[in-house]
Amino acid sequence: MTQFLQAVVLGLLIGGVYALMASGLTLIFGVMRIINIAQGAFLILVAMITWWLWHETGIDPILASVITAPLMFGFGWVVHRLLISRVSGESSSMSILLTFGFAMVIEGVLDITAGNRFRSATPSYFDESFRIGSVSLPKAQVFGFLAAVLVLAALYYVLTRTWTGRAIRAATQNPSGAALVGVGAAGTAALAFALGSATTGVGGSILSVLYPFFPASHYDWISRLLGIVVLGGMGSLPGALIGAGILGLAETLTATYGSLSWSTLVFYVVIMVVLLIRPQGLFGARLREDAA
Amino acid sequence: MTRLRALPRAHLIAGICLLALVLYPVINPWNPYPQGVLLLGFLLAIQASSWNIISGYGGYTSLGHSMFLGLGSYTAGILALRWGVNPLWVAPLGGVTALVIAVVIGSVVLRTRGHAFVIITIAMLLAAQILAANFKSLTQGSDGITLQLPFWGRDFQNIPFYYAFLGLLVLTVLFSAWLRRTKFGAGLVAIREDEGKAASIGVNTTRFKIVAYAASAFMIGTAGGVYAYYLTFINPVGSFAILGSVTIVLATLTGGRGTLYGPVIGAFIVNLVSEESTVYGGGSQSRVLIFGVALMLVVLFLPRGILPTAEAWWRKHHPVEVEYTDQAGALSGGPLTTYERTREPAAEDRPLLEVRGVSKRFGGLTAVDNADLVVQPGTITALIGPNGSGKTTLFNLITGGMTADSGEIWFDGKRIDGMRPWNRGHLGLGRTYQVTRLFKDMTVQQNVVAPLPDSRWRTMFAGAVHGHEAARARDLLDIVGLGRMADQPAGALSYGQQKLVELAQVLMLQPRLILLDEPAGGVNPSLLGRLTEVIRELNRSGVTFLIVEHNIPLVLELCDPVVVFSRGAAIAEGPPERIQQDPIVLDAYLGDDWRPAESATPASGKVVQ
Repeated sequence: MTQFLQAVVLGLLIGGVYALMASGLTLIFGVMRIINIAQGAFLILVAMITWWLWHETGIDPILASVITAPLMFGFGWVVHRLLISRVSGESSSMSILLTFGFAMVIEGVLDITAGNRFRSATPSYFDESFRIGSVSLPKAQVFGFLAAVLVLAALYYVLTRTWTGRAIRAATQNPSGAALVGVGAAGTAALAFALGSATTGVGGSILSVLYPFFPASHYDWISRLLGIVVLGGMGSLPGALIGAGILGLAETLTATYGSLSWSTLVFYVVIMVVLLIRPQGLFGARLREDAA
Repeated sequence: MTRLRALPRAHLIAGICLLALVLYPVINPWNPYPQGVLLLGFLLAIQASSWNIISGYGGYTSLGHSMFLGLGSYTAGILALRWGVNPLWVAPLGGVTALVIAVVIGSVVLRTRGHAFVIITIAMLLAAQILAANFKSLTQGSDGITLQLPFWGRDFQNIPFYYAFLGLLVLTVLFSAWLRRTKFGAGLVAIREDEGKAASIGVNTTRFKIVAYAASAFMIGTAGGVYAYYLTFINPVGSFAILGSVTIVLATLTGGRGTLYGPVIGAFIVNLVSEESTVYGGGSQSRVLIFGVALMLVVLFLPRGILPTAEAWWRKHHPVEVEYTDQAGALSGGPLTTYERTREPAAEDRPLLEVRGVSKRFGGLTAVDNADLVVQPGTITALIGPNGSGKTTLFNLITGGMTADSGEIWFDGKRIDGMRPWNRGHLGLGRTYQVTRLFKDMTVQQNVVAPLPDSRWRTMFAGAVHGHEAARARDLLDIVGLGRMADQPAGALSYGQQKLVELAQVLMLQPRLILLDEPAGGVNPSLLGRLTEVIRELNRSGVTFLIVEHNIPLVLELCDPVVVFSRGAAIAEGPPERIQQDPIVLDAYLGDDWRPAESATPASGKVVQ
């Protein structure tokens, strides 16, 4: 029973972090219909920057996201302006290939500059835990979860309470209608891409503490994120949250009762099953364009 | 005409290149390095040409195609160990494994449209890597499988492999060329350009996509078996490499996606760049970076690839004279030839089409609200009503572009509302669109012969344009006055001309009921006269029509009965004379202008719709 409870708690803590990471991917897809394959590479890039900041200055890796998040916001903006906006009008496969190429470029640059080895940021609380009864909560997981929830709440606030956020949501639902009432599609898309990238600024910092990483880890991460958004419904933010929770649980439960090496396979199995039973995901509406 | 002349020339050049490649090891046998580079070029070209079938012709991008190479390698490797045979002899079984896996994955993911496919292809490649590493009893895990060395003497070096891969490449290109010339190939291009439209003209899109995916897997799987023997070692990371997939994509994009020789040309270029970067670029470490940059550059600056770009340049400098609609020809058109109808005529005593209590909601908006509609065989029934009254949505529900939330649709005694669009097409239901949806990169003639009359496999692999069909297409184009435009790309035609081509296209299906969505929109008055004549003529030969049209004089002249739609349901039905005077219709749609003079109400402050 304790083992089960432990797995559930850990699963939910990881799910929170997954939710943050997947929110950026689903936000970008919602506004631009672009699957940003480079989202995983962004995470690894941030993890590497965080590791380096922590290594050089001793700054807390999770707190380092106050530096990396704005950095990634700007980075996302520039990437959208220089690259993504050039193909956004064309077929979706071109944008996928472009972001795929970009992910490889990031991987290649990290490979050459930082080397092909595993890294992990290990702050002082790295192997400490809180204990509630018989369940132990690793501090790093708890801090990561809290940071993720905080950022998700901020994202929710931005999307629902500010003009910018409403513009993004309007563009998600009806780009041409949004344009009619003065929401410029290009500007909104750039903003959404920048916001979506900024979430990796925090997600990557958390990743650097929770998981060992190396340049090619981004394939593993983008697969997890894709599993989450496919399950939740592409473009749906609530779907990403629920999907992240479910997959976090599924992963830790498989690792507890099965084996660690099989737990990564959970994501692929989920992608297959969801596409078989409910291709639009849990929260994805079938769009009119699908049918016409 | 340049196209026609360019085609044999391309084959000629390909033949000369092939001859040179066949002779090369004979002429220069003692230089293994260039042979090795060429050999890997063949392997990449096999993969790129195969990828081109689903992702070039069909337009469904796969980012995990190297998975099939790995599947082939493992199948041949494992079987060679277990059975104690040479991997070469079981290499085709690698192709079979790849084919089976492709059918399984395709059946899951290709039923729907959109992004799911590309996601699943990446996911499956990475999952295959994990599976290969974990199924130790079968694959020996991360340690990999070591195979016996080639049985031939060292003097032969890799020359047998060289010819094996070259042979497979020739087979792959021939296979691809044959597929492209069949109805199946044409259907794939139709799917790439407009999947919904393809389904409406009888293309079983689900089956086409799954078969294309399987066809694109087989040769790669076979090559994988040979490759395993060539390497004499297979392991999970090497066999299911994501970089391998990217190389395939990059090669095809560079050469020209959707062309026959583009993938081959691209493969040699990419392979050469890959070799050079390994030699001069600081080893394989920088390959990821170089391929990433190359992929981005191609997507941004050469999205169509070398061959199509060169062809476009050639056309620009050697323009073909544009011809116009043969208006005189169309207007003087002789008697309309009707075609043998294989189907038994509809029973006269029951309605051809019956819509019973059908509803369709989009969120809070009810576009079609418990609508009933009956079309009797042999009629030209009109469906009129204000914009947004649900006419086009009803069309979509009838032809299967959308599924109804509730209600039943019956066609000639069969319930069709659960059928896929192509099955409805095969029953004899054809439609045109309000905004034309031709396949813009195909020629006019290819558009007209694109429809498929049934879902038999024989039809699917028949030639895309065979003689009897080509003649019929020409006849149909003559009828609408576009005979001389047959070889123009459909996208180059004016809107009105496209409407006429779409009509010819739907006639190719030999439908029993044709749904026309605003046939008169954008067609000039004299051609409109011809259009009504064609409709009447077809009607006399037994074709029933259901027409949505805002051109009221045309409707009143041509149609009987007339059904009036408002707010998602029929509000009136009857012969045109009666509809014209029906006060409900006048209020809801026609307005006071159509009120007969004697009963016209004096102008009031009321807003007239």
